[in-house]
Amino acid sequence: MLNAFWIVLLGMIVIFAVLGILFLAMSLVTRIVRPGAKKGEGQ
Amino acid sequence: MDVTAGEFLGFLSLTWQAVVMLLIAGVLMWLGIARKVEPVLLVPIGLGALLANIPLGGISEKGGLLAILRDAGIHTELFPLLIFIGIGAMIDFEPFLQRPYTIFLGAAAQFGIFGTFFVAYLLGDGWLHILDFSLKDAASIGIIGSADGPTSIYVSTILQSKYVAAIVVAAYSYMALVPIIQPPIIKALCSQEERALRMPIVPGATPQRVKILFPIITILVVGLIAPKATPLIGALMFGNLLRECGVVKSLSETAQNELANIVTILLGVTVGGMMSGTEFLRPETILVFVLGVVAFSLDTVAGVLLGKMMSLLSGRKINPMIGACGISAFPMSARVVQKLGLEANPRNHLLMHAAGANTAGQIASVVAGGAMLMLVPLFT
Repeated sequence: MLNAFWIVLLGMIVIFAVLGILFLAMSLVTRIVRPGAKKGEGQ
Repeated sequence: MDVTAGEFLGFLSLTWQAVVMLLIAGVLMWLGIARKVEPVLLVPIGLGALLANIPLGGISEKGGLLAILRDAGIHTELFPLLIFIGIGAMIDFEPFLQRPYTIFLGAAAQFGIFGTFFVAYLLGDGWLHILDFSLKDAASIGIIGSADGPTSIYVSTILQSKYVAAIVVAAYSYMALVPIIQPPIIKALCSQEERALRMPIVPGATPQRVKILFPIITILVVGLIAPKATPLIGALMFGNLLRECGVVKSLSETAQNELANIVTILLGVTVGGMMSGTEFLRPETILVFVLGVVAFSLDTVAGVLLGKMMSLLSGRKINPMIGACGISAFPMSARVVQKLGLEANPRNHLLMHAAGANTAGQIASVVAGGAMLMLVPLFT
């Protein structure tokens, strides 16, 4: 039973960790690309 | 001649299990054709089950058509991965990219996978020993909560669960039951005031460059941290890249149409072919279907609870109902939340916000599958 508990706990941690990093990566990319896109529109 | 009629006349070799399965096959086809419940899946699955349970037909036995397809497409995990290319090409991730915080709702809504795994293991080898559920079987049953057919097939096949056919049928069937399973749970957890909460419109479109970089970055992030998810996320994002890069329109259209349809035909009939009476009609199979409902319910509860927390922290800018869309059942779940939103407040259009969470759930379910594949062998 303890094995199953660890799988549940670690599983949810892995999911949140991976998706948290993806969130940060995409937020950074959007921030870098969006000012570039706005500059292009302005010109 | 030492041969009896029962050895070459099919109806004389009918067992009660075969009769029951033929009836179940009929029900699946009726649901698909007459009631239009996921017909693209239930019609081939139903017909495959019909073929597999004709005595002496041999279609699911070694050398038979469905056995060949099973060996070529299911045991190699080829079919679910090819389907994912098509699904990736069909999905527009813009609602999610405009609301990246919904990724956490997707994450929370995968709790149903692990909660159900825990319950299944408790009923089986973990404690009560009422049912024949090993750790790998319990993990495979839990993955029904991903609400994602290809992920369910992929994980349960790699883990070599005894219940692959039941798990796959449950995963595909319950996606169609989302409009029945989710609303009572959402209404129980969210007050009228919460359901009526309007969400602000997100202005502006996502730059195309972001949409192109997204699948590549997702493969890198998911693959480098949870490498067992690489085939699934890779196939999904490959399809999405074909869609978004804009330079391979013919490939994108082929992935969305011909590829998806061909593999759906082969996958459906093969899964149906795995539903033989002796394997399928066991008490464990009924419990797999019951646990499937538990999985979807826990997904909804967890997603909505995180939605409520995010609503509070954002100063009521987020409608907690969209948490229920963190489940990967796209677009059924988004439509359920849109409908409940309109019922509570006729000016409340939540569809795009819900779609953001729904597509985030697709990524989250793949990560959850990878996490399961990573962790279960460690503890077996």
